[in-house]
Amino acid sequence: MLKIYTDTDTDITPALAAEYGYKLISMPYSIDAQTTYPYVDFKTFDAHAFYDKLRSGVLPTTSAISKEQYLNYFIRDFAAGNEILYVHFSRAMTNTFDAMDQAIAELKAQYPAARFEDIDTKGITTISYAIVREVGDLVKAGKTLDEILSWAQTEVDKFAMYFFADDLKFFRRSGRVSGLAATMGTLIGVRPLIHMSQEGKMVSVGTAKGRPKAMAYLVDKLGELGDDIQNHRICIGHTDAPEIAKEIGRMIEEKYGPQQIEYVDVNPTAGSHCGPNGVGVCFHAKHR
Amino acid sequence: MSLTAERYLNLIRGGAASLGGRRQEINDLNVFPIPDGDTGDNMYMTIEAGTHAAGATLDEMAEAVSSLMLLGARGNSGVILSRIFAGMSKGFKGLKEADAAAFTAAMKAGVEEAYHAVSQPVEGTILTVLREGVDAAAGSDSLEEFFDLWIAGMDLSLQHTPELLDVLKKAGVVDSGGAGLLCIAEGMREALHSRFTESVIPSEASVSPAPKVDFSAFTEDSVLEFGYCTEFLLRLQRSKVDLDRFDETVIRDWLATQGDSLVFFRDGSIIKVHVHTMDPGAVLSHCREWGEFLTIKVENMTLQHHENHMDQRFKRSRKPLGVVVVASGKGLCDNFREMGADAVIEGGQTMNPSVERFLEAFDQVEAETILVFPNNSNIILTARQAATLYKDACIEVIPTHTLGEGYYALANLDPELPMEELKQALTEAAASVTTGLVSQAIRDTHEAKCGEYIGFSGKDILTAGAERADVAARLATSLKAGEKDILVIFTGASVPASEGEQLYARLEKAFPTTEVILREGGQPVYDYLLVMC
Repeated sequence: MLKIYTDTDTDITPALAAEYGYKLISMPYSIDAQTTYPYVDFKTFDAHAFYDKLRSGVLPTTSAISKEQYLNYFIRDFAAGNEILYVHFSRAMTNTFDAMDQAIAELKAQYPAARFEDIDTKGITTISYAIVREVGDLVKAGKTLDEILSWAQTEVDKFAMYFFADDLKFFRRSGRVSGLAATMGTLIGVRPLIHMSQEGKMVSVGTAKGRPKAMAYLVDKLGELGDDIQNHRICIGHTDAPEIAKEIGRMIEEKYGPQQIEYVDVNPTAGSHCGPNGVGVCFHAKHR
Repeated sequence: MSLTAERYLNLIRGGAASLGGRRQEINDLNVFPIPDGDTGDNMYMTIEAGTHAAGATLDEMAEAVSSLMLLGARGNSGVILSRIFAGMSKGFKGLKEADAAAFTAAMKAGVEEAYHAVSQPVEGTILTVLREGVDAAAGSDSLEEFFDLWIAGMDLSLQHTPELLDVLKKAGVVDSGGAGLLCIAEGMREALHSRFTESVIPSEASVSPAPKVDFSAFTEDSVLEFGYCTEFLLRLQRSKVDLDRFDETVIRDWLATQGDSLVFFRDGSIIKVHVHTMDPGAVLSHCREWGEFLTIKVENMTLQHHENHMDQRFKRSRKPLGVVVVASGKGLCDNFREMGADAVIEGGQTMNPSVERFLEAFDQVEAETILVFPNNSNIILTARQAATLYKDACIEVIPTHTLGEGYYALANLDPELPMEELKQALTEAAASVTTGLVSQAIRDTHEAKCGEYIGFSGKDILTAGAERADVAARLATSLKAGEKDILVIFTGASVPASEGEQLYARLEKAFPTTEVILREGGQPVYDYLLVMC
């Protein structure tokens, strides 16, 4: 029997996870040495309260979960001899999956009847969200594990995500974006434009002068790279910037006609790296 | 009369004293009707630095004066002034004293050096006044005659400066730098025959703020290893010594037995001492046999050593690129730091930093290459002078003329770019910025009454009115903020937060396709600083 897993770094809420049958692995963040596991330590994510805290100067950190924690998550389905599929955030952004690999190796040795596969969404937050949902849809439609894996082989690279953030100090601290100039949205209005690369890393692709230009860039990128967008969700993720996200949605529909647009709160763990007032657009694309 | 080392120093002191008393008058010769004139202060602080010189012969003294003034130079007029004396020092080379002909030759060298100080010399400024004055005095038979003719020539030239420079004519003032120089010359003439002995005492203006000391470097268990850096000024007392016959080498020789790194000189009845000793108490008690102290400074050298030690450590791991900016206002300084500035030199229109202050900042930054953003037209020359004097790093001055230019340029700093490309990118970014300022008029002009606010950009007054927020809004409109991508409003020290927020809301509504950003600048003089790009 196929059992599916994903993690909280993909922005999936427990309600949506339950709808698809996903089990949720919680990826933690820490503020002032206090570690919080999303949807374990709280039931609903109060994005506004969280990002407001960041606005007031708090700089959270994130940490990798341990081998033992992975063992705890997966052991029951291994023991039951199930097929297990874990759709997770980018391996290139973390070392947590080394711990997972160790756990899986142990479990495989112990329960050889079970099958474990994973899909690397090569991204985090909204782009992973879009892929997790598509995989969920396939599961719902009764596709087999192999069918889903073969889908992922070609399709994961066809989800593009472009975004901008307001305050670079979060990225600087995390060191997870390459090629950033000293641009600072809140200080001067020059924003870094970042995309999720084929390798699953955040890469700076330039800067935009002023938020209106940054927003227009995201909309234009959809026009330039978009592929079969009518038949896919356009996901607009934001770190407590619902109005900017809605305005981008409006600009997209004005330019490309009515779309299936979904607005997504960026999860606190990923949001710890990009800070408040960031907005990104994820869409089905010719390439990333 | 010929010019000796002592007389030369007296001339410098006389010039400084004369300008010191009239610096505000010179400050007020401001082309803008707002309280941001600083020529008098800059020139005074520059020449004042030269008054601490010492030297046995004229050329030694002139060189000491020159190097102190080069370090102390502030503002364009200060830099030019320092270069006049640098040129004179070159002219005195090899001379123990100078007669009128040698002095005239040295002054001509001063003129030449001053013209070289600026890349594009402008007539109608201090340069013209100096040159025409020296021309008028050429051929003088005595120093007295030289000074009389020089001063008369400069006075005449100064009165003509508004004819050469439109901005002066429009403002109804003469050139402030030229006026400052005339004031100095008058003081020098007076000093030809009198004697100043007091100014060996450092004035308040020249005392640099105490560096931050890390007291944890000397704990309860530390052992005194390096002793104390002990500095004092001792006034020889008539009741204790025979002033006319006293041979100060007695003190010097005794001090030499008490420690090392001895620096010692006498100026009239004042003895200046710097010595590193394990027992400052013994040194101080003993020196009271000859006089009383004017000032005393004693510092634990372990703390100093610790700082130097830290410096060494950092030197080994110098980062490739550092940034030094000049800014004023707490908010603006903080913003610059947040944008990545490694050192912020506090200063600006009304408080130009000295060359020395730049050198300290370069030391502090510890980078292989240091980018300098002077952020004021009147500070670029000082930064460039500091750059030529600094040898421990490659200094690149990005000629940013306003805080806005520096601010935006810094946002475009891509450390990955090769230096030439980076310099070009930064200079281009700076050039793309429009800066608007709002300040209160302190005298009536065509555009505004005294007490009203004026909105200006560069040298153009664009709007005026009784309400500063209205003036700021009109200024933004006339500078075409709606066509820009970004408008940053920096509120000045006197603007309450609520007023800034109201202006922000108003401008955001007025310019929907421009991103409006409100920051607390806290800058003096300018109620609003608008940065558009």
